[in-house]
Amino acid sequence: MEYFNPGDLKEAYEILKKYGDAAIPVAGSTFFMGHREELFDEVDAVVNIKRLGLSYIRLEKGRLCIGATTTLADLHRNGLTSKGPFRIFAETVRELKIMEVRNAATIGGEVCIAGEVDMPTTLLAYDADIVIGSSKGTRTVSMSEFHKGYLKNALQTAEMVIEVQVPEPGPRTGGGFAKFERTAADLPIVNAAVRLTLGRGDRCSDVRISVGAATVAGIPQRANAAEKVLLDGAPDDERIRKAAAASSNVKCVNDFRASAELRALWVECAVEDAIRKALAHAREEK
Amino acid sequence: MGAETTVVGKSLPLIDAREKVTGRLKYAGDLPPLHRMHYAKVLRSPYAHARIVNIDTSKAEALPGVSAVLTHKDDITGRKKTCNTPWVDPSFNFRGPMISQEVCYVGDEVAVVSAVDEDTAKQALRLIEVEYEELPAVFDLEQSMLAGAPKVRPWGPNALEPSLFRWGDVDAGFREADHIIENRITLGNQQHAPLDRNACIADWDGDKLSIWTSTQALFWIRDAVTDFFELSPNKVRVHSTPTGGSFGLWWGNNFMFLAIAVARKAKRPVRLVLTRDEVQTTVKRRERPLIDARIGIKADGTMVAQSYRHIMDNGAYGNKFDPYQSVADIYTTPHGKAEFIGVATNLLPAGCMRGVGDLTLAYAIEQTVDMAAEKINMDPVEFRLKNHWRPGDICHTSQEVLFAKLLFNREPEVALTSSGLEECIRKGAEKFGWKEKWKGWGKPSSVDGNKVRGVGLGISTHISGLAFFGFNGITIKVNPDGTMVLTTGIGRMGQGGDTTQAMVAAEVLGVELGDVNVVDGDSEVCGHTMVTFGSNGMHMVARATKAAAEDARRQILEFAAQRLEANPEDLDIRDKRIFVKGSPEVGVTLKDLMSSPIYQYLSPPEVIGRASKGVEFDKAGKMMICDYAEVEIDRRTAQLRVVKFVAYHDSGTIVNPAVCENQVAGGYCQSLGMATTEHLVFDEESGAILNPNFMDYKILGPLDMPDPEIYFEQVYDEDGPFGAKGIGEGVTCAVPVAISNAVYNAIGVRLHPPITPDKIMRALKQNPR
Amino acid sequence: MQPITLNINGEQHEVSVRPHWSLAYVIREKIGLTGTKTGCEMGTCGSCTVLLDGKPYFSCLRMAIDSSSYAITTIEGLDADGKLHPLQQAFIEDHGMQCGFCTPGMIIAAKALLDENPAPAEQEIREAIGGHLCRCGTYMRIVKSIQKGARLARGN
Repeated sequence: MEYFNPGDLKEAYEILKKYGDAAIPVAGSTFFMGHREELFDEVDAVVNIKRLGLSYIRLEKGRLCIGATTTLADLHRNGLTSKGPFRIFAETVRELKIMEVRNAATIGGEVCIAGEVDMPTTLLAYDADIVIGSSKGTRTVSMSEFHKGYLKNALQTAEMVIEVQVPEPGPRTGGGFAKFERTAADLPIVNAAVRLTLGRGDRCSDVRISVGAATVAGIPQRANAAEKVLLDGAPDDERIRKAAAASSNVKCVNDFRASAELRALWVECAVEDAIRKALAHAREEK
Repeated sequence: MGAETTVVGKSLPLIDAREKVTGRLKYAGDLPPLHRMHYAKVLRSPYAHARIVNIDTSKAEALPGVSAVLTHKDDITGRKKTCNTPWVDPSFNFRGPMISQEVCYVGDEVAVVSAVDEDTAKQALRLIEVEYEELPAVFDLEQSMLAGAPKVRPWGPNALEPSLFRWGDVDAGFREADHIIENRITLGNQQHAPLDRNACIADWDGDKLSIWTSTQALFWIRDAVTDFFELSPNKVRVHSTPTGGSFGLWWGNNFMFLAIAVARKAKRPVRLVLTRDEVQTTVKRRERPLIDARIGIKADGTMVAQSYRHIMDNGAYGNKFDPYQSVADIYTTPHGKAEFIGVATNLLPAGCMRGVGDLTLAYAIEQTVDMAAEKINMDPVEFRLKNHWRPGDICHTSQEVLFAKLLFNREPEVALTSSGLEECIRKGAEKFGWKEKWKGWGKPSSVDGNKVRGVGLGISTHISGLAFFGFNGITIKVNPDGTMVLTTGIGRMGQGGDTTQAMVAAEVLGVELGDVNVVDGDSEVCGHTMVTFGSNGMHMVARATKAAAEDARRQILEFAAQRLEANPEDLDIRDKRIFVKGSPEVGVTLKDLMSSPIYQYLSPPEVIGRASKGVEFDKAGKMMICDYAEVEIDRRTAQLRVVKFVAYHDSGTIVNPAVCENQVAGGYCQSLGMATTEHLVFDEESGAILNPNFMDYKILGPLDMPDPEIYFEQVYDEDGPFGAKGIGEGVTCAVPVAISNAVYNAIGVRLHPPITPDKIMRALKQNPR
Repeated sequence: MQPITLNINGEQHEVSVRPHWSLAYVIREKIGLTGTKTGCEMGTCGSCTVLLDGKPYFSCLRMAIDSSSYAITTIEGLDADGKLHPLQQAFIEDHGMQCGFCTPGMIIAAKALLDENPAPAEQEIREAIGGHLCRCGTYMRIVKSIQKGARLARGN
């Protein structure tokens, strides 16, 4: 097993090309180190991607661009993601009450894993795009198409995630994130994120509701039925509850951690909580 | 009542606190490598029950860097005789040979490899080829007891001979009753899950063996090893390091034997460290109970008869035939019966975990008692006040009685010595606000939208050691400046035992805690000391410590009497100075006495206090506990949270309040985990554990529960040193049932631990209020 | 094997490491600083927490080979000048420990908190150690000790 610490993207892409599927990019290295026993025989090249200038958070032409090696702690601290239209990012990080993981885990890393993390759920609700780079150039895949299965995603051999882009929400748009766990330091059992826009007459003119962790292979899903309930309506208590109830038809995993039935209950509760948070935020935003 | 004390009763810092906060304290896994040391890894069975038909280790042995491979073919069979306790083998997963040809649980040891480093050892494991013939396995307790059930292990029946206790005429007792309440309970599979991963280093120097490991059981390991490997005690030196938590896990364990055997074969020192998964899935767990309880009461709430049948899952190699409990006597009835049956299953071996039978049986009793109180619409606090035992009541079911019969075929009457249980119940109710919170049977304590609250209580008792654990040998050596060195074999596993033993000695000798160094953990240096279990440290071991200190004191006073030309009876020691009672200006400092030459000897004196003391079994006190819980269930999310918890304990004189407070807080935390989140999940088909580490075996963290309120009712126990009893295990015993009783008050359903949101959700669906 | 230099508690250590070796492994087994513990080796207990440039990380999930450009602080670094850190003093006085195994991790995490937030609220303290387990269940006095450490550090 060899270790590489390239200084620019070109160099990094060459290494990935050379080693193909036996190469693994690492930043926080929590995934690689957490699974190093299983990965030991498969990995020939560990490629550190932290010197490639991929740690940034900036607003460019109406899109929030987050470099792949930006940590959760960065997202928690940065003015662009802790206040204003994108504050859901800091909110999402706040629900992970483990400082050491906030400092190490990166948004690129979380994007690649479905199920045991929170960011993909939030990114799905915010229509995020994943920018992928390789020696062949860059391409973009939407968050909704990125995950294919447990630890399987749209990355081809020798590709890596280099950036996450999130379109700037319109006016009067708020976000909310909610999570259910067994104890305060746990994998998420259920998480949900909502992006909600208030339009004319204070009705909901646009909404995204995404549910993750509980879903099959942990891949975040849009709760379309729930969105339909809210869209074009006045988001009062009754409608919110009805929308939450409609979200519980998202297919949930059944295992010893929690039954599908409990996960469905928590999906409903998480969606309700996230809608309320998003609504409160939307009312604050101009 | 005791005289005023200057050291005992103060929350003095732990004597090893500085080592702990600076990272200097070494646990077994921190010890520096010995010269030429190799590292071992264990190959384990993937099957719950199988015969090893063939095992080929040739490729592993040929791997460069491998120094030894052990399998069942090495036929390391120990004598079956154990040290003087007949009830359990020290290794607690005794299997005759150390590695068996018949594996009996997923994780059972199949081979051990030692190599130049762990990576090589792991590689070598992958090169071992094993052919298994699967055998029928049984996982269910009741099924294992049936005639015709597959035999779990190569010897004995699956179900051990029951331990049976009877008094009065239990059938007549139930006929007298106006109401009979029956209840069946089980609990989750709890595992000790200490934070540390234990290690054992074994080193043979010719025929002399030295081992280093973290343990509560210094002398038990020494005895088990001498027995198993047929050595003289002079040829075995055990160094026990403090444990990073034990709770009953680190006694003599099979992996220690493996380290010793593979070191002998490799002709090198070998270190074997367990992984996190191995700590939780291959050593031991709490025995899971299945208890049928039956209580008979009169219409006015007087309990007249009680009967318990307590089956315990011993797993593959556990051998307990008594769960270790005293709580079956906590309610005084003229008639009673208690039957305990240990049953084997092809699952992880089970044995003692903090609280043992008092936790499991208290759960059954205290829930059934609540059901009885509900039957006659009596306040559950009042019910307990009416029926609980009092000093002088006979302990019908305790192990003192059991072992007097087993060892001597005699049946003495053992009576309860001191008890503050009544005060714990009454005062606890006051501190908790029971009168305001209890709204009656069938009525939750409070309702606020979706949030419903319930209250409940539980009482328990627990031994403060048992006499048959053995004698204790303690020495105290006095230095020329009046400081001293205490040697003791007490285990250090977070209970502050070294500190509190030193406090007892310091009190007797009129010195400060800081003047007493403690040397422990060396079987060649320390006198025989009971295994530190059964909460025996303060109530039993400290009797010997106190006696050794008194012996040293006597010697000091004799020397001082010569020097002061007085009678020893007229002297006292305080603040490191010996003086004449009544003329305190006449005296000599301890330092002066110990460092000044005496004419006849032309040299200063030496003082070594020593005592070897056993404990008379009828002078063994029991601790008392009463816990009150207020829980809140969110009917929307099916989640439970604790709102308020009051723990009221009688452990006699509290030698170090902060240490004891930490013990109570710790027991609350562990048992709250047991009540709500902890459960080792066995796969129904394979018997493998699905949650082998902290990822999914959930123990509680700093954000998961409120702090408990802790109170001590200090009833002076005449037999305990300075009136003290034990505390370490009682702290867990009443918590789970207090929580469960509170949940019942909140939502009207009796749920068994772990009371997960899944169970709450289903209960709420079936019983919407 | 790759040679690297690790800056630990202000001292340089030259070691040769393999890519898959964790910082915790190297600190403990190659450099001999065993104050940092490895309770689980998978980032679920907090006993391995060290500071990298003052920020807490699980050293069991951190590659050693990626740790050479940081100032690493382990528990041994807190009293390197012969004086106990206020947190250490507080943990001793207020009994913030029982078996002591989680203690180095707790103190290091608390130090990171106090260096950023010298007067934390109780909830902030609990969240700072949110990923830390104490099986002895000493949370009540751990929090008290951190509060006391904060007061001692502020000179109260």
